[in-house]
This record gives sequence, C-alpha cells and structure tokens, in this order.
Amino acid sequence: MRVTFARVSRAEWGKLTALRSTWVVFAAAALITVGLAGAINWNVYRQPGAEVSEPLLLAQSFLGIDVISLVLGVFGILLITGEYSSGLIRATFAAVPRRAPVLWAKALVLAAVAVPVMLAVCAASLAVAEFFVPDGQRIPLGDLPVGALLGAAAAPVSLALIGVGFGAMLRHTAAAITVYVLAMLVLPALIQPALPESVADDVLRYVPVAAAQAMYSVDTGNPFEMLTPGTAALVMTGWVAAALVGGTAVVLRRDP
Amino acid sequence: MIEVDGLTKRFGDAIAVDGLSFTVRPGQVTGFLGPNGAGKSTTMRMIIGLDRPTSGTALVDGLPYRRHTAPLRVAGVMLEGRALHRGRTARAHLLGLARTHGIPAGRVDEVLTEAGIADVADRRAGGFSLGMGQRLGVAAALLGDPAVVILDEPVNGLDPDGVLWIRTMLKELAARGRTVLVSSHLMSEMAVTADHLLVVSRGRLLADTTVDELIERSGAGRCLVRSPDADRLHEALAAGGATVTRPEPDVLEVSVLSGPEIGATAAAHGFVLHELTPRRASLEQAYMELMAA
Repeated sequence: MRVTFARVSRAEWGKLTALRSTWVVFAAAALITVGLAGAINWNVYRQPGAEVSEPLLLAQSFLGIDVISLVLGVFGILLITGEYSSGLIRATFAAVPRRAPVLWAKALVLAAVAVPVMLAVCAASLAVAEFFVPDGQRIPLGDLPVGALLGAAAAPVSLALIGVGFGAMLRHTAAAITVYVLAMLVLPALIQPALPESVADDVLRYVPVAAAQAMYSVDTGNPFEMLTPGTAALVMTGWVAAALVGGTAVVLRRDP
Repeated sequence: MIEVDGLTKRFGDAIAVDGLSFTVRPGQVTGFLGPNGAGKSTTMRMIIGLDRPTSGTALVDGLPYRRHTAPLRVAGVMLEGRALHRGRTARAHLLGLARTHGIPAGRVDEVLTEAGIADVADRRAGGFSLGMGQRLGVAAALLGDPAVVILDEPVNGLDPDGVLWIRTMLKELAARGRTVLVSSHLMSEMAVTADHLLVVSRGRLLADTTVDELIERSGAGRCLVRSPDADRLHEALAAGGATVTRPEPDVLEVSVLSGPEIGATAAAHGFVLHELTPRRASLEQAYMELMAA
C-alpha cells in the first residue's frame, strides 16, 4: 500500500465524477455550443443565396466555443479553490503530503473528462450546422478539416487547465476568477492601445485567448493575422505548462 | 510514536508555537491541553506536514510525515473544522482518500460502520449535522488503520452517545498499541480518557505528565473538616497558614494545610472533629492553577 500518481489520478477521477456540478457544467457547455451553432446557422441559411464556404461554416459552428471556454476556465479554477474553501484540501494533502501530484492529477483528470466531451460537442455542432445548409451545397462532414475540430475541442480544455493553474496560485475563488478574467480578457484588450502599433498585433497573437481561437480558425481573410493552428497549439501548451508550474510552486510553498 | 523537537512556528511577528519538544508514545491516550490559541492545532498541522515549521522537527514513526510512502497507514488525522466537499456523499469522500493509497472499498464500508454513519453513507455530506460531520472526520482518520491517530477536538458537537463512542474508541486504539494524540478543552472528558497529558500555553509546553501526577502536583487539593469547634479551629488553622472557607457553620474547607496537619492542629488544641475528608482536586482545578501560574 503506497501512494502512486496513478492512484492519486484514480482518486481525483472519482472525486470529479462524483460531483453533480461536473455534469451540470458539461451539459450546459454542450447545450450552449450546439445551441448557438444551430441558432446561428439557421439564421444565416434561412436567407436564400447565403454564401456557403468552409471557413464560414466553421466560424459559425464554433462561435459558442469562446463562451464556454470561460465557463470551463472557471470550472478549472473551482476544481482547486473549492478544495481550499471547503477545507477538503487539508484531508487531501494529509493523504498526499507531496501535494504536487494532486494538482497534476486534477489537471489530467479534467482533461480526460473534457477532451472527449468537447470532441463530441464540436462534432455535434458541425452536424447541426450542416443540417441548416441548403440542400446541394452541403460540405460532407468528412471533408471538413479534422485539425479544426481537434483545435475547437482543445481550446476550451486548455483554458480550463490554465484555470486550474490560476486556482492553485490564488486559492480563493473570487480572487482567482477576477485575476483570470483580467488576465484572459481585459489585459489583451489593453495591449492594443498600450503598445506601439507595430508590435501590438505581434504580441496579441500570443495571448491565450487569441492562441486558443487560432487553434480552430481557418483563414477568413481577416486583416488580423492569427497564428497557424500548429503554432497556436504549441503556444497554448506553453501557457498551460506555465500556469501549472506556477500553481505547483505555490502549492508546494504555501501552507494550506 | 510522535517525536517533536524544538518545533517553532511564526506567523509574521506572532509566535504560535515556541520551541515545543515532546514525545507521544504508543499504547496510551495522550491528551493535548491548552487554551484557545495555545498552538495545539498548529502543532498538529506541523506534525502531518500541512504547516512548514519555522524551525525544529516533527517525526512520525521515525520520519517526517511527508517522507512516508503510505502516509495514511502511518497517521490518521482529524483537524478542527470540516474537511469535505458538501456535494459529495460520505462514501465518495472516503473513497477519494482511500484510492490515493489503493485502500480497498471494503475498508471504507468498515470505517463507515465503525463511525456509526453507514446508514447515511450515500447522502451528501453537505446535509450532515455537526456530529455526523465529526464522525465522518474520525472515519477518515481511521481509514488507513494508522499507527498514529491525531484528533483535534473530536468530541465537539457530539451527543452523549458520540462522546462515549470516542472515549471507548480512543482507549481501544491505545490498547491495540496505537499512538493516540487528542486535543480537547473539556477537562472532564480528558480526565476520564487520557493517560498522559501535554499542557501548552502560548506555544510553550507547561507540563508533560500523567493525569494523576498533574493533580497530585497541584496544590489545588483541599480538606473538608466538620467540627463542633469550627470557630476556634478556623482561627487555629488560619494562624497555621491555611486558607479556610466556611460553606456551613460547622464545616470548614481548608487548603494549603494537608489532612495530617489539620488533624495534628485539632489534636494539639483538643478540638473535636466529626469529619476530615481529603478532597482530590479535579483535573480542571489543577489545569486552571497551572494556567494561572
């Protein structure tokens, strides 16, 4: 009998799936994403002669991803801060006094639940969108880029993992959510006016929210040039790693 | 066995634990006494590695708690206040801890039964009463069948049944060779449960002794004297340095002087005594005296 990372992960899996709120959040995320995809595409294609193209269809189908990315980000935060506010963290760390494996297991388990759910949600969004495309103009689902589907599923998951890191760094729910929203949404909005025009866009491309969107965007001819999906995935991996490393450092250093 | 050596914890300028050194031995119940804010909880948190000591060491079964590969087998802990998510059932809560060690689900059922909460095992812990929450906390502490059991104020919020259950359980654990450290501010409870006592105040150790010795050592004992010559005996005893109160006209309560000294004083003056009863101090009196010193 000993503590192993596999066992800590098994424990965290059980803890996550035993909470009703986990399923409420994922059900809500699914409804929002698929519902928005349906509503937008219905609205676009009820007008005769609406343009049908791959980039437009993807953009119209994945609009909800931006919304649920924040929802999942907050969910990631609560995964950690909920343990601190309930006092459970003391029992958890008494069982796993090395602490860091708990944080990593939580991140791993969140990804393990969220990735398949988001893949299904994104696929369903595309299917619903296709339903509203006029007959004869449908793009077969198999012809749509798989990368965009994977990217759309990965974007909210990576923002949720950044949330886990923020939760571990700040430990209080309200503080963590505030700082997360400031860092993810407000800070990028300030970059544009604060930096010289020549570099603002270059910086902006790399902020988490922009990189997350770039993972599932197809070039639409927008003047703002996003990262390519591959680069964006690497950048997001870096952000997730940075948030989790920061969270680990705080968890190890500060008394719970 | 818990070995604490020079344990110190500062929070900024405040010093919560100030150079504590003691050993908690297996096979007996050790009571951890002291007023609120004396540093009992902080000490317990440092023993299980939740708080990092400013200096000093705490070893559990020979190693710092963090270095054990199966910590729940080594020490089971219930700290003050709840440590559970309101949305999970009692069973899910315990499974979440058990799985980190590969403790089988059957053991979860065992401790649920042992704690008397098997019938509410599948109810969300958020709806638990204070007493049920305490029982779940104790169940969690027992999960790994640990060699060392550390409980912070375990009888808080328990009904008389629960208090008796804790008392019996602690004694059984000690009888089975476990090391038991339990804090409480209920002296009457400690007097019947604990074999050994650690008394702390403002982060310092005031006493490391047995219950009997602490009471013996305190001067809080008094004698009840019944005499038809109470008036004159009162004067004679007071002259001899005793502190005397008089609850009834023919009854004196005498402290400072011992029973034999009171008897000798009475005999020397030829006073008649109807009763001379030594009254042992309660643990509470001995404790209060220690605190006042």
